[in-house]
Formats: sequence, C-alpha cells, structure tokens
Amino acid sequence: MSAELLSKAVNLLSFIALGLTILLIIRTSLEGQVRVFALQSFVLAFLSALIAFYSDSLELLGVAVALVAVKGLMIPRVLNRAVSKIGLARVAAPYLGTAPALIICGVLTIIAFYIMTPIAASNPLPTADAIPLAFAGVLIGFFIMVNRRRAVTQILGFLMLENGIFLLALLATYGVPFIVEMGVFLDVLVAVLIMEVFVYRIKDNFDSIDVAQLGKLKE
Amino acid sequence: MILMGLLLTPFAAAGLAALARRRAVIELLHTLGGIGTLALGAAIVVQVWNGDVPTVVDGLFRVDALSALMIAIITFLGAIASLYAVGYIRAEFDQSHLPRARLFFSLFHLFVFTMLVAVTTDNLGVMWVAIEGTTLATVFLVNLHQTRTSLEAAYKYLILSSVGIALAFIGTALVYYAGAAKAGEIAVNWSALRAAADSLNPDVVRLAFVFIVIGYGTKAGLAPMHTWLPDAHSEAPAPISALMSGVLLNVGLYAIMRFKAVVDAATGPEFAAGLLIGVGLFSLLVAAAFLVRSRNYKRMLAYSSVEHIGIICLGLGFGGYWGIFGALLHVVNHALSKSLLFILSGNILLKYHSAEIRDVRGLLRAAPWTGALFLAGTFALIGLPPFAPFISEFIIFRAGLESHAWAAASGVILLIVVFGGMLASINRMLYGEPPAGLPCGDGLRLWLAPLAVNFALLLVLGLALPSPFVLALQQVLKVLGV
Repeated sequence: MSAELLSKAVNLLSFIALGLTILLIIRTSLEGQVRVFALQSFVLAFLSALIAFYSDSLELLGVAVALVAVKGLMIPRVLNRAVSKIGLARVAAPYLGTAPALIICGVLTIIAFYIMTPIAASNPLPTADAIPLAFAGVLIGFFIMVNRRRAVTQILGFLMLENGIFLLALLATYGVPFIVEMGVFLDVLVAVLIMEVFVYRIKDNFDSIDVAQLGKLKE
Repeated sequence: MILMGLLLTPFAAAGLAALARRRAVIELLHTLGGIGTLALGAAIVVQVWNGDVPTVVDGLFRVDALSALMIAIITFLGAIASLYAVGYIRAEFDQSHLPRARLFFSLFHLFVFTMLVAVTTDNLGVMWVAIEGTTLATVFLVNLHQTRTSLEAAYKYLILSSVGIALAFIGTALVYYAGAAKAGEIAVNWSALRAAADSLNPDVVRLAFVFIVIGYGTKAGLAPMHTWLPDAHSEAPAPISALMSGVLLNVGLYAIMRFKAVVDAATGPEFAAGLLIGVGLFSLLVAAAFLVRSRNYKRMLAYSSVEHIGIICLGLGFGGYWGIFGALLHVVNHALSKSLLFILSGNILLKYHSAEIRDVRGLLRAAPWTGALFLAGTFALIGLPPFAPFISEFIIFRAGLESHAWAAASGVILLIVVFGGMLASINRMLYGEPPAGLPCGDGLRLWLAPLAVNFALLLVLGLALPSPFVLALQQVLKVLGV
C-alpha cells in the first residue's frame, strides 16, 4: 500500500468517525446512540489495522483487536444492560436542540482545524492530515457531555471523547506504546463499569437519571 | 527489589483486605499494609539519598530524587491516615456495616498503590494510566456514606476528573510525537525525553503543555478546573480527605513538574512560567473568594487546598533556584498541615455530626485536644510562624518579588484575605457554648497520637530546616534541571 493511498483511506475513515460523533447528537434513542458508538469503535479498529499493515506493526494490530473487544463489544454491552435495566428513559433530553447543537459542532470543527493544522503540517507521517478531524471529535464529545442531561448520554459523550483521543494519538504517532494503550483500555473499561453503578445509584436515589437533579452541593 | 516490594505491598494489602472475613483480620492487614509500605518507602528514600537510582522491569520503574520525595510524602501520610482510619471506621461503620468497612480498607490501599505507581514509573503513558487509576480507586470512597450529596460529589468527581485526565493524554501523545519525530525511536520515557528535550519541536511541546496543565491541573485542583474538589474532599471520609488533599493533589502537580522540566528545556522557561503563574493566581483568587464566606469547615479546608496548590504553582512559575525550592518545600509543608487538619475534621464530625460551621460551637470546651490541635494546625496552614508553611511561602514570594513583582504582590494580598477569612471561620467554631446535651471529651484521642509527628515535623522544618533535608531538596532541583 502506498503512502498516498493510506493517506486517502485514513482521511475518509477519520471523516466517517467524526460524522458518527455528530450523528450521536441527532439520534434521540439511547439504544441508537450506543449502536453509533459501537460502530465508531469498529471504524477506528479498522483504521488501526490498516495502519498496522502499512507500518508492519504487530503491536498496533493487537491494539485493534483489543479495541474491538473492549470498545466495540464489551462496553456497548454494558451500556445496553444499563439502558434496559433502568427502564425506558429513551429521550435523550438535551439542553440545546438539534439545529443549534449542529451549528456549535461546526464552530468546534473550525476551532479544531485552527489549533491542530500547524501541528499536522509539521508532522511527516502520511496519516497526519486527519489530525484536526480527530481533535474535532474530542471537542464535540466534550460538548455532548455538557449538553446532555441523561447520565448514559454523558457516558457516551465521554467515550466519544476517548475515541477521539485514541484517533489523535494514532494519527500523530501510529499509536502510543502497546503497554500504555492496554492500560488506557483497562482504565476506560473500569471507568464505564463504575459509571454504570452510579447510573443505578442515581436512578435509585432520584428516581431518574437526569443529572440536572444533582445540584445540591453548593456554598 | 525493595522497589518491587514497595509497589506490591499496598497491592497485596488491598487484595487480602477484600478477601478477609473477620474485622480484626481486616484491620490487622490494613495496619500492617500501612506500616509496611512506610518502611519500604523509607528504605527506598535512603537508597536514593545515597545516590542510587533504583530501576526495575527494564526501566519501566525508575526512582530519582523527585520520585523519592513523592514516595516519602505518600508513604508517610498514608501510614498516618491508615492508623487514624482504624478508629474512625470503627466509629462510623459498626458490625452491621462490615462490607463497607472492608471496601474502605481495600480501596484505601489500592489508592496508595496507584499513587505509588504514578510517581515511580518513568513511562509518561503508564503515569497517565496510574493517575486515572487514582480517580477510579477513590470514587467509591467519596460515596462511602451513600448519601445523596456524596453520590452527587462522587459522580461529578468521576466525570470531571476523567475528562480532565483525558485531555492530559492528548498532551502526553503530543510530547511522544515530538520525541519520536526528533530523537528517532524514543519511548515515552521521561528520562529519555528529558535528555533529548532541547531538540524537540517547540510548537508541539507548547501546545502539549497547555493540555498537560489543563488535564493534570484538574487532578491537582487548579482553578478553574477545581469545581469537583470541594465536593469530593468534603464528602469523603476524613482519612481519605486527608490523603486526597494532602497527597493526591501533589501527584497531579508532580506530573506537571515532570513535563515542565521537558518543556523548559525545549522552549525556554518563559512559556511554562506564564501559564503556571496565571493558573496559580487564578486559583488563589477563587479560593480567597470562597474562603471568606465558607459555611462548611470541610469545604473550607478543601478550598484552602486550591489556594495552596495555587501558591505552589506560583513558586514553580516564578522559577529560578529559590522559586522551585520554595515550591517543593511548600508541597511538603502543605501535605503535613492539610492532612493533619482533615484528620481532625473527622474528629469534629464524629462529635457534632455536622460539617456546618454554624453547628459547631465551643469546640475548645467540648473537645479540648481536638480544638487546640485544630487551632494550631490552622495557624500552620495560614502561614503563621513558627510553623513551616510560613518559611516556604516567604521563600516563594521573595523569589517572586524579584522576577514577577506584580504577580507576587497580588498573591500576597490574596493570602491576607484568606488569612482573615479562615481565622474568622474557626473562631466561630472554637469558642462559645457547646450545644446542650453534647457529651464532653475528645473522641478517638489515642488515634490522634500519630499527628504529633506531623506537628514535630512542621516545627522542625519551620524553625531549623535541617541541612540533610535541604540537601535532599537540592537533589530534586538537580533532577528538574534547576
């Protein structure tokens, strides 16, 4: 595979990944949102595998496999369990409606290009062009966390942000060393399991998973 | 070898405490774990003091003087808090709540373990994993009392810290890229990066450091990323509050110090200095604004942590030999005095069953030992001589007046505001009539005995500043390239 072809494929897949992050804003059902996240994880795993073949890196192939296992299968399963256990609560209840949220996504993407284009330009790797797209995914994931009131959607925003960071590191350096990447997956998995417990506890205590109710601690 | 033992002891203590059934066994394992970790930590510190740099697992773990300083703080305050925790948990959770006591003791050691990994690893990625691990280990401790407020505090803590630390990962990845691009095949090892630092791309390193300060600054409690801190530190059980405020915040700062050493070599000192002075002053400002009107004494102590972390950042930003020296000294002094006060706050909470300042009246009469120690500890914390924080704050602002006069002067004014606010608050707690029907006498008096060591150290460092200690700090300065 030539560097030019890889560059094109990487750009396309990174763009799809960013599109899926934005799709999370449009989807209103929690189940649909979990599917969007799982799909994004598979796209990223495919992208890692592609780069692994290009750079002959067995470690990166291992990372791709772990990514499918943890973020493509295990975490969506945990989230689906949480969604079905807490009953319906399907509407995702954002603070901002879809249209203004999409405008903000556009603005965040422009900001991402403004910040990351100089970094991408200084990077000799064929994957570097897509770095701003990955950073846009990070910023939009952050925005989803702020904009959604449901605890489950906040968790999804966090996971999208994590995926964006994974992609950023992958594009800038062909991924951080294997041991670090495995540690990160472990942390994310444990974090999601803990968040799941908290979703149940919030549900038990407040009879809803609307995090806007968490506003008691004040001066 | 000792280093392996140091890491495995708290890990084993956490696992065994989770498996043990009887309370006496759990408490024994817990105490042995705390003391054993301290003994091994002391052994490592002595080794480093003699000029050795212990390394294990192919250089994955490497203890230089800066790591040794952090090990000393973690293991010493870990031991103090673990001794008090036995009595505190007995008072809070009786036999019918044994599972929660077990959870506490197990997570306590897991928490210490993650902090020790964070400060002993040479790999910046593993350090990131371990610091995220500190959040995961403590989140159930914050929610240990399972009240609605502690649930809120723990959820906010989990979400905000995870997002913050995620941004630090971007910084780590960018530094890794800068290193890989210039120095060829270098891993994310700090020692290798530090050696190659002056050839790194300064633009990439600058952007990376912004992410690092936002990310690890969230863990360190720097404003405006501090919003989780007063909630989590005030809702956690007292021994954990002591470790979170006295020790965990310093682990966040430790990460910033490591990166700052690389950034300074790559871009010159001005960039990091400007950023750190900015967030340091802002933290002081936010803390002062909340401290003058605090209504809850545990939140008061938490905001005071934001203040002191801000002061340490100012010291790092002012830079030069004395700025950094003062910052390191203040890390030690703040850790000693804040852990002391949080442990005492546990005693006050057990006595009055309220963390509101207005509910605590006549503390000096109702619990003379707790009250007197709380007063002395507060004197130390707000920087009154003869206690050690006075010396370190003096050194930091003296250094600042020479290099950044305006920032230093504004810092001193904010310190005076904090001084007045905290004195007024504890004044209301110490004097007056205790509530009717409150039994007299200190709870857990014997469990407070280890705090005598904190006081002794605060006085020794404040009055004498022994030369072996100064030499040790100079070794740390050498590691940081000052």
